[in-house]
Amino acid sequence: MLDHNQLPLADVNKSLWFPEQASSFAEGVDWVYDTILYISLVFFVGIVIALVWFAIKYHKKKGEPAESQTSHHTPLELLWSIGPSFLLVYMFVVGAISYLDMRTPPEGSYEIGVEAYKWGWTMDYGGGTYHPELHLLLDEPTKLSMRSSDVIHSLFIPAFRAKKDIVPGRYNYMWFKPTVASEKVSVDELASAKKETGTDAWDYDKYQFTPDGYRFFDLYCAEYCGKSHSEMQTVVVVHETQEELDAWIKEKASRPDDVAPDAWGKTLYNQRGCASCHSIDGSKRVGPSFKDLAGSTHALADGSSVTVDPNYIRESILEPKAKVVAGYNPVMPSYKGQLSDDDIDSIIAYLKTLAE
Amino acid sequence: MSAGTLPSNVRDPGFPTERENYLTNSKGFLSWFCTLDHKRIGVMYLIGTVTAFLIGGLLALGIRLHLFSPEGWLFTDNWLGSSVDKNTIYNQVFTLHGAIMVFLFIIPSIPAALGNFLVPVMLGAKDVAFPRLNLSSFYLWMFGALFFIGALLSSGLDTGWTFYTPYSTTTDSSVILATLGAFILGFSSIFTGLNFIVTINTMRPPGMTWFKMPLFLWATYATSIIQVLATPVLGITLLLLIAERVMQIGIFDPEFNGDPVTYQHFFWFYSHPAVYIMILPAFGVISELISVHSHKHIFGYRFIAYSSIAIALLGFLVWGHHMFTAGMSSLTTIIFSALTFTVSVPSAIKVFNWLATMYKGSISLTTPMCYALSFIFLFTIGGLTGLFLGTLATDLHLHDTYFVVAHFHYVMVGGTLIAFLGGVFHWWPKMFGRLYNEWGGRLSAAIVFIGFNLTFLPQFVLGSRGMPRRYATYDPEFAYLHQMSTIGALILGIGLLIALVVLIASLVNGKRSPANPWGAATLEFACTSPPPYYNFERAPVVGDPYDFHDIFWDAENERYVTAEPEREIVPQTVPEESPAHAGGQN
Repeated sequence: MLDHNQLPLADVNKSLWFPEQASSFAEGVDWVYDTILYISLVFFVGIVIALVWFAIKYHKKKGEPAESQTSHHTPLELLWSIGPSFLLVYMFVVGAISYLDMRTPPEGSYEIGVEAYKWGWTMDYGGGTYHPELHLLLDEPTKLSMRSSDVIHSLFIPAFRAKKDIVPGRYNYMWFKPTVASEKVSVDELASAKKETGTDAWDYDKYQFTPDGYRFFDLYCAEYCGKSHSEMQTVVVVHETQEELDAWIKEKASRPDDVAPDAWGKTLYNQRGCASCHSIDGSKRVGPSFKDLAGSTHALADGSSVTVDPNYIRESILEPKAKVVAGYNPVMPSYKGQLSDDDIDSIIAYLKTLAE
Repeated sequence: MSAGTLPSNVRDPGFPTERENYLTNSKGFLSWFCTLDHKRIGVMYLIGTVTAFLIGGLLALGIRLHLFSPEGWLFTDNWLGSSVDKNTIYNQVFTLHGAIMVFLFIIPSIPAALGNFLVPVMLGAKDVAFPRLNLSSFYLWMFGALFFIGALLSSGLDTGWTFYTPYSTTTDSSVILATLGAFILGFSSIFTGLNFIVTINTMRPPGMTWFKMPLFLWATYATSIIQVLATPVLGITLLLLIAERVMQIGIFDPEFNGDPVTYQHFFWFYSHPAVYIMILPAFGVISELISVHSHKHIFGYRFIAYSSIAIALLGFLVWGHHMFTAGMSSLTTIIFSALTFTVSVPSAIKVFNWLATMYKGSISLTTPMCYALSFIFLFTIGGLTGLFLGTLATDLHLHDTYFVVAHFHYVMVGGTLIAFLGGVFHWWPKMFGRLYNEWGGRLSAAIVFIGFNLTFLPQFVLGSRGMPRRYATYDPEFAYLHQMSTIGALILGIGLLIALVVLIASLVNGKRSPANPWGAATLEFACTSPPPYYNFERAPVVGDPYDFHDIFWDAENERYVTAEPEREIVPQTVPEESPAHAGGQN
């Protein structure tokens, strides 16, 4: 396994400037980038050579007169004003053409819903399947229809050279076609990693593969969104076949039969962004801690109080702004439609284990 | 200019007596704080903006040290005894750094500090058109600065200096106080701009036609136009933001049917032209420096002058390029991209003209010249990397990454700060009548140059490899580039410290400066160093500000002298004694 801590320069072998090219846009964007880079370098090197050469060659002792006092040369000035403009037009045109391709999703693209919130991602695979990881199919044009439940976020996949802001109050769309499939790590490697940490608080950075054993591409939030902006990351996995993707989606659709509700609740707590606002050790974050929460009595912002029973927990997940705990802001997004009844029951079961 | 014998008709202002300059003509606390003298106001601005820069710079070092390790190194969950978590502290620190640097240093540094000191002297006037307005703009700035820093510190603002909605309308920290601070600072900026426009329009002495003005004045004039036209838009935007927070009027917050992108349009309609408030005066400074220290007539004077105005006007049309990823229509983005490219033409013209000015000149590698050469190098990188961001396809990938951070630091720090330092070193002997240690100055220029490049070059790579900006923690594969950058920042800090020490040391034990230490032909070097209270003992004779034919090196006395031109001095421009209105023509 490639350990990024020990081999920080490993990626550089591929390209100094870019991450791997993993979508159909990447080559075009990199080409435009390189084109501008080479044109710029020609000018830059020319300017610096002139700068250094003049500074040395015309360095004179104090008081020696300049060799010339020419103050203008209109044809020359017109030449260097108008000449580079052609290059600028060229850059603009190639940039705009690639951009238009990136703006127009092909008809019949595979569609995935994305919800961004402080501070995490929920991908909607349809049929009630939600998961924080973005799973795609190789060579399949994919359109993301994205919304935000609080502030502006921005979905950025460097390997795809794709980025788009997600503005609350409207849907924003982006599309791309993945061209590199994610490798699967060996069964042994996966097993040993799972034995080390368990599946709940999976450390993507450490292992560089998902709990399902796939290598991944990074997906970042690129628009500043507050406290845990830098932790608002998830991963992109590209499957080789439709069957493989379908199998993965099916597996994530609901609680597997052999998993107890409270264990599933813990998985959801870690996967669905609860952990970024609610601690389980009693420390105060954006929302109340889950430790000793179930069964306790809360003072509410409107002065009344409420006992944290299953009904209140359910209401807080679906209508988080209805009964806000005193001392906290009504900032939690609603999970209505994103969690099945079984999911909510599992979370309730998990909360109960934290209050024992 | 000639190294040989001097002509017989040289004029040598020599050294002033201790009593006759603006620093010594009156004494005491009140004589400074109630002064109407533009030079003293300029000096007070200089102290203020440099103080702001030092605070902002320490915060920058904090940011860089924190990013030395992927999990964050400097700030911890119990930093300085506070129980705020480290990401929150990091977010507050970068907001504080950005807001202080933009509003309190980069925008006012050259126009307000150097501009206040230099505009009337370069023009040959006795003061600015509205000396009292000038003083009040300084006090507004002081008040705004204290209020602003106080608000930022007390509320722990974490929105970033751009106050993007809806984050800024929903966050806990008190955005209102901070935006009020920026609002007050805006007024100071408007007053200064207004004053300069009127001064340059009405107070040019006889003979000083538009095309006899030094290019620094052209740059200041163009800047002032932007200040007066764009700053009110920022004011209105910030008031709307406050109204939105207090009354939920539904302009920016989608929860009340507002549109957050509207805020971005309003904000950048000011803040993009503000980028040219930051860089245009720097162009002006560099035009002076290159010409004077090459002892050669500036090449393409008119092109440089026109390009300043062109940048000021085009600068109003390109704000949309901050929103290529926000979801504007394709047509809008393409139009903004095309317009953005137009701004690079006048900037490129200036670089070519500066190089042509050096060609066949008589170049002295003085400290200001070292900074000017450094400026051309760094600004060229800053300008060329702007092309990647103006091009749509590449901007999508690079937007909001470290590439952008590197690009605007090359323009604002590599451009504005370096030009500011070059300008300070250039005019320091004029301002305080003392020469500094040349070797120390050049050493500072070299170390600043090395440190700066080591700090920000790796950030271009970071950005194109996909590292987003404003991250308190990051993936380990970016660590080595961040570490290079942090080491660079420490070196840069040392370089800036050397510059500060060299300048302050000159006040203590520097040699007295002659009137014209560099052999310049602009008017400020025709008066003594430091200038007398009313700048000129008699009306200056206006000539071509870049004509070095009359200036000679007096090897015996080791200073530059000016041969009296055979021109008639206009008698009615001799100043009256202490006129109430210190204009040049009354």
